[in-house]
Amino acid sequence: MARDGVVLEVDSVSKSFGALAALSKVSFAVRQGQVFSVIGPNGAGKSTLFNVISGLHVPTVGHVRFNGREIAGLAPEAINRLGIAKTFQITNIFPEISVFENVRVAAQSRARESGRLASLWRLPDVEAGAAELLHAFGLAARRDELAENLSHGEQRYLEVCLALATSPTLLLLDEPTAGMTPGETKDATALIRKIAAARGLTVLLIEHDMSVVMGISDRVAVLHFGEKIAEGAPEQIRNDPQVIEAYLGPPED
Amino acid sequence: MNRALVTRAVIGPPAVIVWCLLALLPAAPVMSKFYLLLAFDALLFGTIAMSLDLLMGYTGLVSFGHAAFFGLGAYASAIVLERGILSLWVCLAFAVVVVSLYALVVSFFATARRGIYFALLTLIFAEVVYTFFRYTQTFGGSDGIQGVPSPRLFAEVAIDTPLRNYYLVLVYLGLAYLACRVLVTSHFGRVLVAIRENEDRARFLGYNVQRYKMAVCMISALLTGLGGALYPGRSAFATPDLMLWTVSGEFIIMVMIGGLGTLAGPIVGGAFFVLLQEKVSSYVDWYFIVIGLVLIFIVLFMPRGLLGIRELLGGRRWRATA
Repeated sequence: MARDGVVLEVDSVSKSFGALAALSKVSFAVRQGQVFSVIGPNGAGKSTLFNVISGLHVPTVGHVRFNGREIAGLAPEAINRLGIAKTFQITNIFPEISVFENVRVAAQSRARESGRLASLWRLPDVEAGAAELLHAFGLAARRDELAENLSHGEQRYLEVCLALATSPTLLLLDEPTAGMTPGETKDATALIRKIAAARGLTVLLIEHDMSVVMGISDRVAVLHFGEKIAEGAPEQIRNDPQVIEAYLGPPED
Repeated sequence: MNRALVTRAVIGPPAVIVWCLLALLPAAPVMSKFYLLLAFDALLFGTIAMSLDLLMGYTGLVSFGHAAFFGLGAYASAIVLERGILSLWVCLAFAVVVVSLYALVVSFFATARRGIYFALLTLIFAEVVYTFFRYTQTFGGSDGIQGVPSPRLFAEVAIDTPLRNYYLVLVYLGLAYLACRVLVTSHFGRVLVAIRENEDRARFLGYNVQRYKMAVCMISALLTGLGGALYPGRSAFATPDLMLWTVSGEFIIMVMIGGLGTLAGPIVGGAFFVLLQEKVSSYVDWYFIVIGLVLIFIVLFMPRGLLGIRELLGGRRWRATA
């Protein structure tokens, strides 16, 4: 079994694409209820890390355990059904159906009928949960709009709604505020934090923008060229010379 | 909500009018035996186009091999009848078994690939089936199975007149339409649309996409195969030409003409195609040029198909999901 309170354990995970080592021996543990952030400059291997955890990639070496269970190598749908939901850096929704229908189809994935013969003729009633989610993200008024007609910021929220609709216990957020203005970013991070806390979720967040994570994270790990160069509380990370160097380049003198 | 949608679509006022008109059609004075058989074809191919719409319109999968399901159903039925077993139910049951087995294999391999590869795999499998029946003398080779007797609904009731065949296919249409309508408004149908819209995202929501695709392929194939099984009762034959790839192409055209993802549209499209083909080919040999032109016109100016007229006239967009 897992150590106390550890929800997700990434254990010396390496992933290579041919000669390119995207991740090398990355380890960390995310505890119940934490907001754990992984930061790093572009190309540091953050998205690869997410793809390994969410099942898109199989790690070349290493283990990923969720609640003590090995999940490395499982298919994305199997990992989702265990309770890990992921949002995408590039908005990944169902463009030509309504906003409500987007969330509905995500929510019904956890209905009793899902995957059973009865799903051929029954339509599970998940309307209430879907409507509640849209309301929480201020999308209730837009529910009948086609998802592709939403603004960028609204689509980012819908993206999070889709993930939350599958009732995860661990939420993976891949740069949820990508493309937002600084003001929107602040609102969005506060909102996500609030909703995650209200639902008792553990959150693993990826960001390249350090300022986003500092205010909302309990713990931060820093990736640089596929290696973890630091991990600790946000204040520690902010003052870590290695981290500053990774972001700003080596001192000039 | 689900029930209400299904009820309105299947037995709502407009639908009831259509059903009544279809039921009374044989009473029309112009309906000779020839026209009854033409109406049979229109409804049969309309229903098959609707089955294909489950794949094309709802799931976003284009099958170039539906003629094989149709042809296999026809052969299965003809083989049973040829042996002197005249029960329609045995014909249908045997067609279900044969088509299911074949569809299981095709869908297993084809759904492992996406887009054009899915289409090509369905085409290749269908060509194999065509070639098998074309060159196997047991099943009559290129002549197929000719002169089979009419099936019987019950011991005393033979489906041996165009009128009876017409009502049989009308029942088939009604049941298939009900089944498809229930299917697309169900949990399953919503997932199909999600797969059409964004297959990768559907996986990350916990849906085993390939399993859903296989299931919808099987259902579509079965409905098509059942249509095929009714065909020898009308024509008294099953030939390899029923499985030619051009027939698969015609099915796709029927769906396109009618309007993707609407169910009712492809029924209209199938019927329209059959009637157009019949009318034009009775005047000229090069009827496919005319049909091609009509199709080009529809695709260019009515991209939502014949049912898109509603939209052009300011009506609600007729689409798979609300």
